[in-house]
Amino acid sequence: MNPAVFEIGKFARLTVIWLSIIFGAVWAACWAVGVFAPALINASGMPTETASLASEVLRALVPVVAVAVFIPINAMFMVLCERRALALFTVRKGPNRVGPDGLLQTAADAVKLLFKEDITPHGADAVMFTAAPIIFFAPSIIGVLPLLAAASGNHELFRSVNLPTGIFYVLAIASIPVVGIVMGGWASNNKYSLVGALRSAAQAISYEIPLVLSIVAVCLMAGTLDVVKIADQQKDSLLSWNIFGGGALLPYVNLVVAGLQGNNEQVQAIMQHFQAQPLGPFAAVLMVVCCIIFFGIYITGACAEVNRIPFDLPEAESELVSGYNTEYSGIKFAIFFLAEFTNLFVVCSIASIMFLGGGHAPLPGLEQGFTEMLGGILKQLPGSKEIFSPGWLINSLVNPSTVSQAFWIILKTYSLVIFAILIRATLPRFRIDQLMAFGWKRLIPLSLILLIALTYLRELV
Amino acid sequence: MFGLVGRAVESLYYVCVGLWTVAKHTGRAPITKEFPDTMPDLPGAFRGRLALAVNPETSEHLCISCRQCERVCPDKCIDITAHKSPETGKLELIDFKIDHGLCMFCGLCTEVCPTTCIINTNDFEMSDYSREALIYDLKKLTLTQDESAHYFSKKYLPIPKPKPKPAPKPAAAAAKPADGVAAPAKPAPPAAKPAEGAAAAKSAPAATDKPAGDAAATKPTAEKKADDSKDSEKEKAAPEPSAAEGKAEPDKTEG
Ligand code: SF4
Ligand code: SF4
Repeated sequence: MNPAVFEIGKFARLTVIWLSIIFGAVWAACWAVGVFAPALINASGMPTETASLASEVLRALVPVVAVAVFIPINAMFMVLCERRALALFTVRKGPNRVGPDGLLQTAADAVKLLFKEDITPHGADAVMFTAAPIIFFAPSIIGVLPLLAAASGNHELFRSVNLPTGIFYVLAIASIPVVGIVMGGWASNNKYSLVGALRSAAQAISYEIPLVLSIVAVCLMAGTLDVVKIADQQKDSLLSWNIFGGGALLPYVNLVVAGLQGNNEQVQAIMQHFQAQPLGPFAAVLMVVCCIIFFGIYITGACAEVNRIPFDLPEAESELVSGYNTEYSGIKFAIFFLAEFTNLFVVCSIASIMFLGGGHAPLPGLEQGFTEMLGGILKQLPGSKEIFSPGWLINSLVNPSTVSQAFWIILKTYSLVIFAILIRATLPRFRIDQLMAFGWKRLIPLSLILLIALTYLRELV
Repeated sequence: MFGLVGRAVESLYYVCVGLWTVAKHTGRAPITKEFPDTMPDLPGAFRGRLALAVNPETSEHLCISCRQCERVCPDKCIDITAHKSPETGKLELIDFKIDHGLCMFCGLCTEVCPTTCIINTNDFEMSDYSREALIYDLKKLTLTQDESAHYFSKKYLPIPKPKPKPAPKPAAAAAKPADGVAAPAKPAPPAAKPAEGAAAAKSAPAATDKPAGDAAATKPTAEKKADDSKDSEKEKAAPEPSAAEGKAEPDKTEG
């Protein structure tokens, strides 16, 4: 057999194993805190008020627990995935010694990092130096919370983090990490760190504008800032995803389908609707083009936001040693590392929720069919009413609609992560002046023009 | 404006081409060699540890102690001990040391060696616990016959001709006086011809036959026969051959 197929198979196996570990752990932790512990408290003969209060507190903690469990394991997986995928793209093998087929490589790395000496350089501002990684890392924990609600299909345990201004909140939080970078760079008492940090600040400020404008465009089409609602609006099929104009093409496709089926009444009804909007088809196509370009702008801005190649100027190894984290070692460096990969995950999940339909399947009926099938299987289980019986256990553990939504969003998000790795394997690093010129002279005018165009096109469709 | 759009489209196109090229590489077999598990397949010209080859056919040591490698080495890391053999008067190798800690594997020594004795092998695993252990002596440097054959074929080196046999040498040395006599004996017949007519008529055919047949072992007996007939002529002919050789040789081969 072709050895390349073998390697791809190994990569796929690694991904599946790690993803099951990550989401199994998250799922189990959520269930233990949000379902099992409250049930236990209710079953023990506590006074009703105390018991309900305790269960409420536990339920409210679920999103935090989920994120706290998710982030470290996910960062480990992403580092390994990045190294293996890069190896695939560059015709190498990647880490394959620790554990079966290199599966435990990053776990070993993490342990090593945690046991390393934590050095504070001479002349560094110790307080700032310690605070910087925390300020860099904290936003990625706080920022993902509203996304959890969208990703879990608004599961009742995550409803508490479903903010009405979700995406606004996420974007606001996402601009904090740059403060941590500048602090770290300044406090290190090292000119490379300082230059790296300043570059990062300049870059984050310039690229945040096109990034936010592309998100604004999506919110404009959706008419809401609530991530759950934005995700739900895209649930019909591929065509209602925001990347394809948020359903702008849907009536025309419906027309073609009705025409093919020979359903004359429906054709008539749709045609009447079109008479009111003669420019409709034209506007719809333009809108789709605008949205696709916005998606490209978002991906570009996101790469710059999380300092990934080709925008990794803050840590350009050939120029700045390692940039803002040059002086960091041990656990502080590990936190920087963790935060960087979590940020990558966060921007990818924002992209999949805002542009790629969140947790909804690309084809109509796929999601519903799966949910019904799984629900049917669960109904067969015996004793689902009695507490602590196997039936109850599985029923409270598995929620069909959440399983399906989680599956799709995981697929979309990690596909985007792999796309980011592909970009990293392909493109060389920008020069700092090119970076600034590209951001201010190209991306920002382009996104402004497209935003205005989209505002009018939306009325015409 | 349109120029800008055109450029944007063009650069996007090239980015996509790049992405596609990289993505296509996923379908290739990895070129990684997992070294300790699988040995890399090195080309013959790879410049690894130095070694002294033996003749792959006769297994005699190829070094002639010419010291060219010692002289050319920029690092002066070759150290040859040799002496002139009292018996043969030829150089004889006693020890040959290469300090691989100093060597920079430039391969100059292998290029100057007239007998392709010193060669770069494909071995690169020489790590050791001390610097002294990197000084390899003659015993450690000399390859076996099989290894030599392997490297000679891998480097496309011509198989060297065997040295003139040392085995007949002692015999030749013992018969030196006779040899000295035997050599001039070849040109002797032509020299003897004018001197003696009737006596030579018997021995001359035999003497002219011998060099043509050229059987070393039978030569002395042939000379013996010639000696019997004319002893005095030989004394006269002995100092001559160097001068006579040029003219005598064609005669002899024709005969
Ligand atoms: S390879 Fe170069 S440095 Fe090494 S022994 Fe030969 S001539 Fe000297
Ligand atoms: S050049 Fe070759 S033959 Fe001469 S001494 Fe060196 S190894 Fe021996």
